[in-house]
Amino acid sequence: MNAGRIMTIFEKDFKEFTRNMMLFTSILLPVLIAFMYGSMGDSQQIPSMLIFLIVGIAFSSILTSGIMTMMAEENEKNTLRGLVQSPASMMDILVGKSLVVTLMTAVSLAVSFLIMDMDMSWGAMDITGIILLGLFFLNSGIGVGLTVKSVATTSVYLLPIMLIFGFTPMIEIIIQDETHIIRQAADYLPLYQNMAIYDGEALVPMLILSLWVVLSFVYAAWSFKARMKDA
Amino acid sequence: MTAVITVQDLTKRFGSERALDGVDFEVGRGDIFGLLGPSGSGKTTTMKILTGEVEISGGTAEVLGFTDRDFGRSAYVKQLGILSDNSSLYDRLTVKDNLELFRKLYGAGRHRIQEVLEHVGLTEQRDKKVSLLSKGMKQRILICKAILHRPEVLFLDEPTSALDPVTTERIHDMLLTIKGQGTTIMLTTHNMAEATVLCDHVAFLSNGRILDQGRPDNLRHSYKNNKIHVTYRTGIIKSYERSEVNKNILETALFDSNVIDIRSDYPSLGEVFKKVTGRELV
Ligand SMILES: Nc1ncnc2c1ncn2[C@@H]1O[C@H](COP(=O)(O)OP(=O)(O)O)[C@@H](O)[C@H]1O
Ligand SMILES: [Mg+2]
Repeated sequence: MNAGRIMTIFEKDFKEFTRNMMLFTSILLPVLIAFMYGSMGDSQQIPSMLIFLIVGIAFSSILTSGIMTMMAEENEKNTLRGLVQSPASMMDILVGKSLVVTLMTAVSLAVSFLIMDMDMSWGAMDITGIILLGLFFLNSGIGVGLTVKSVATTSVYLLPIMLIFGFTPMIEIIIQDETHIIRQAADYLPLYQNMAIYDGEALVPMLILSLWVVLSFVYAAWSFKARMKDA
Repeated sequence: MTAVITVQDLTKRFGSERALDGVDFEVGRGDIFGLLGPSGSGKTTTMKILTGEVEISGGTAEVLGFTDRDFGRSAYVKQLGILSDNSSLYDRLTVKDNLELFRKLYGAGRHRIQEVLEHVGLTEQRDKKVSLLSKGMKQRILICKAILHRPEVLFLDEPTSALDPVTTERIHDMLLTIKGQGTTIMLTTHNMAEATVLCDHVAFLSNGRILDQGRPDNLRHSYKNNKIHVTYRTGIIKSYERSEVNKNILETALFDSNVIDIRSDYPSLGEVFKKVTGRELV
């Protein structure tokens, strides 16, 4: 890895991201939801479910989708080959792109929270939890991005990731029976760990969340190895 | 001749199919070497082996002192200039942004972009989005990209296929200039006229085998037909073996006002190819 080359990739992908309508509009999605909530105009405390729904949407639709789409497009248009043949390593490329999507996600979330006028007095645990969650979504996106060959096929992977991991809290609206098996299983999904941490729990949700990060990392590393072998 | 590229008994199998079957050639420093053959003959496969994209099944290859075991490594590949059969640019970015990306990755000097763009006559397109450029312009920019870091060896897979004659000629001029700066170039083509203009050395590839190779003029010479043809105004053509032509025949023809053409048939490179391989190109 080389900082200069990572920054070069970052610069190029930043430009690409902002000029790609599909990617660029993904930033607006969380903001739009925040705006809708804001215009409802109640001054009560924001429900944690809404906060984490917005986090989940931002992470899945910008972090995961963004890196996946960028990698898939480089594969599809065969520009990745040119990068790999240059002194840039696959790691430089992945880190540069990850920085772009991380920045875009951070901006989108910050704007969303501002609009909702949220009180941002998050503790160290909450912030650690959010970072872990971000890593989970990023690794998943990288894993898929290294595997898929075209932008069209990304949606096959992205849709389930968004529905299961991004929109997790929506389950409460769809299935109201708390004892339902799916509700029980959903309790182990990453986003619910963040909600638990937000509500004051710490050890168990942090452990479960870390497990998800490890799993996603193993998947990304496996994709990386497979990719380097046929490269 | 100091060889920059040496390929010996190279074979490549895709499953049970033999794409390359005992290919041998050498490319001398500073030469333009042309690998000629119809499509499916194995040109791209040879290129991809030498640029580390495809593994060899047998034989050996050496480029710039690196052996084929090193071909998959970045330390080797980053030394090369490569235009592959499906190289492409970032459509949403400008010409300058595209070149700037690679200039920085390769650590080439700031002035290089201006230099290469001047070189191909595209300085005015500098701030244009790549998606707005013509196919020929994109191809020239891709060659710019390939030479930004002044590679010692340049690999070009069909650099002019599907381009108009004017652009093709521009690219030829460009390649001759690059050669003039000491770069060794290996290219593939199925355009014989192109090979005749550009190449110091050509190899005829057919079904994964090299059937003959050498300097274009030497090849043409060795496959020449030893015949002299005299064409009359009436359309009659009399052909003589060179050995049977004497002063008398020639002088008679020369002063005969009914004779409109006297020529020896010196084959074009395309005709030599056809003789050697028994196949037409393309
Ligand atoms: N990845 C591959 N898998 C299987 N067969 C291949 C592959 N690449 C090339 N071939 C086969 O190898 C032969 C040579 O192809 P290629 O090198 O692309 O020829 P050319 O570039 O001269 O048109 C063809 O018969 C082609 O079908
Ligand atoms: Mg080819």
